[in-house]
Amino acid sequence: MLARVDQADGAHLKLAEALSLAAARHDGNPTVRRVWLACGFTPLHLVTYLKARALTSRREALDIRTGVFGDLPGNLALATADKPAECAVIVEWADLDPRLGFRHAGGWGPSLTRDIESEAGRQIDRLIRAIAALAETSAVALCGPTLPLPPIGHTALSQETAFELRLRAAAASFLARAADIQGVRVLSQAQLALESPAGERLDAAMDLATGFPYTVPHTDSLAKLLIQALFPPPAKKGLITDLDDTFWRGIVGEVGVEGVCWDLQNHAQHHGLYQQFLAALAERGVLIAVASKNDPALVAQALGRSDLLAPQHLLFPVEVSWGAKSAAVSRILSAWNIAASDVVFVDDSPMEAAEVQAAHPDMTCLAFPRSQPGRVPELLRRLRDLFGRQHLVEEDRLRAASLRGAEAFRQESGAAAPDEFLSGLHGTVTIDFTTRASDPRALELINKTNQFNLNGRRITEGEWRIHLAAEGSFLAVVSYEDKFGPLGKIAVVTGTTRDGAVAVSHWVMSCRAFSRRIEHHTLDRLLAHFAADRVELDYCPTERNGPLSDFLRSFTELPACAATVVITAGIFEERRPALPHAVRGIGNGSDRNATSGMLLEGVP
Amino acid sequence: MDRTETRLQECFSKVFPDLSRDQIRDASAASVGAWDSIASVTLLMLVQEEFGVVADMERFEEFTSYRGLLEYVREACPDG
Repeated sequence: MLARVDQADGAHLKLAEALSLAAARHDGNPTVRRVWLACGFTPLHLVTYLKARALTSRREALDIRTGVFGDLPGNLALATADKPAECAVIVEWADLDPRLGFRHAGGWGPSLTRDIESEAGRQIDRLIRAIAALAETSAVALCGPTLPLPPIGHTALSQETAFELRLRAAAASFLARAADIQGVRVLSQAQLALESPAGERLDAAMDLATGFPYTVPHTDSLAKLLIQALFPPPAKKGLITDLDDTFWRGIVGEVGVEGVCWDLQNHAQHHGLYQQFLAALAERGVLIAVASKNDPALVAQALGRSDLLAPQHLLFPVEVSWGAKSAAVSRILSAWNIAASDVVFVDDSPMEAAEVQAAHPDMTCLAFPRSQPGRVPELLRRLRDLFGRQHLVEEDRLRAASLRGAEAFRQESGAAAPDEFLSGLHGTVTIDFTTRASDPRALELINKTNQFNLNGRRITEGEWRIHLAAEGSFLAVVSYEDKFGPLGKIAVVTGTTRDGAVAVSHWVMSCRAFSRRIEHHTLDRLLAHFAADRVELDYCPTERNGPLSDFLRSFTELPACAATVVITAGIFEERRPALPHAVRGIGNGSDRNATSGMLLEGVP
Repeated sequence: MDRTETRLQECFSKVFPDLSRDQIRDASAASVGAWDSIASVTLLMLVQEEFGVVADMERFEEFTSYRGLLEYVREACPDG
């Protein structure tokens, strides 16, 4: 009747701990975020664990709404009607056909398999439609079947039947279709398997007694991944790498330019894999730089080798000297104009990593396992996680090139008077009022920009969709290009319009676009576009938004704390500098979703 | 109050944080408004976690009072 069991794995939150966390409200953040959990089973302590994991990872309290037992499509419809900013959705086999669960007795005979397959296919179509409707207004984290199929196949356990394989293929196809829906994030089954072994997920006794099918450790693993998917941490922006025994095998000063290697024949494939990974990161827009204690001339020759898997043009800046690594890292951060907390440093030397970490405590410093090739995949997995992003956009491709352009920009701008220099750029500012919530670039800019940022407030994808669907809201996305090349979409302004005023809730601009008066053009265009007599800015000083504050201060005095800052059209016109660029506007004020209304204003 | 009872009271206070120690001793599904089926399951899971015993779901209906659960734990875990 009774049996002793092992205590839960220490890596998991115990139920008692989860209950204590879920009951507590974090002192520093009294707000409660409303989140839906849509599933076909009784959610029981999955709710507790979602609350606990939100508190441990985000320090945020959740109010979790759930639907009724056994009706996943109905619960998805309820969630859609409630319009939460975030919704977690779990689909188990029993949701595709109740006969694939343990709480129904509709038969498992061979004569039924065709019918079960058909029913599962129909249910998948229903679920896709329901999830697409939900994702119109909510960010959705979707988890596919995590439990084992019932013993429905006719083979011994060492074999799969074609029926089981077709069911798994249908589930995989369902998840792939869902992943293509904007706003849906599908949980990684591979990561779940690492955290929760397949054989330790089902609590059959609990399922039969209560309708909740998961063991406590599996519940915790699921909750952890769902929270990570709903509220992903900000992705790192740059990676600084060492060269010798990291980027390549060998010390270039000892073995020479042709002696360093990164291939299989020379037992250095793990360095080649690292280079290959860096090249892929660069292609996704991650900044890659080099900090090496070395002879600059030798390194220049080595980086000129044509067989590099991460070729030289992907690396900027390349800091090579005999000085401290931390000083080289500081110079790279300055060239990139990003914070240490956004950067990962990789070096095979623990001493160098410790020196950089001491000087830049917010940076993530990782060791390259040069003498343990088998651990390199683990390092690459960690890097994938740190640089993981929801979307890849065109601007990612432009970023590295525009940083090099910025260097040329800085050199030229120092030699000419500002007005003359800026006019000579032949710049074009494009301000697009037709962008939709489905364009990920605007939200990405809001959530990763620090220096030219009106208030530093981050916003989830669900909140973003709700904001843009609200009456009177607008979104302006600003792009720029000049003789140094395109910068892509570099600024976002959003808010609402009312009574002759433009109320701006978020205004951000990439630091790559500073010193070109794009912000002046933006404000000018905003006032004209909405025929407004003033702009009301929801300003809040932060530790890092000095550039935005300096810009506003050129028009009005700024409060020391969060407050609405007003700039009238008259003051703006009186105090603004010359506007040097051509402006291209897309969209008109009466219909912010219109795609017509394009115009090009002349260069002054 | 012995160690078993102290540990069980801790389990109860996680599920019913508003009850005092004395109220927990007299708690039952009939007397505590918040004691529903979800609370029963949560209590059983906590007992399993705290005392390392698998709850016998066939006796689920019996676990409707503090004293009933205390008796169950003492039977399953005589050493506390």
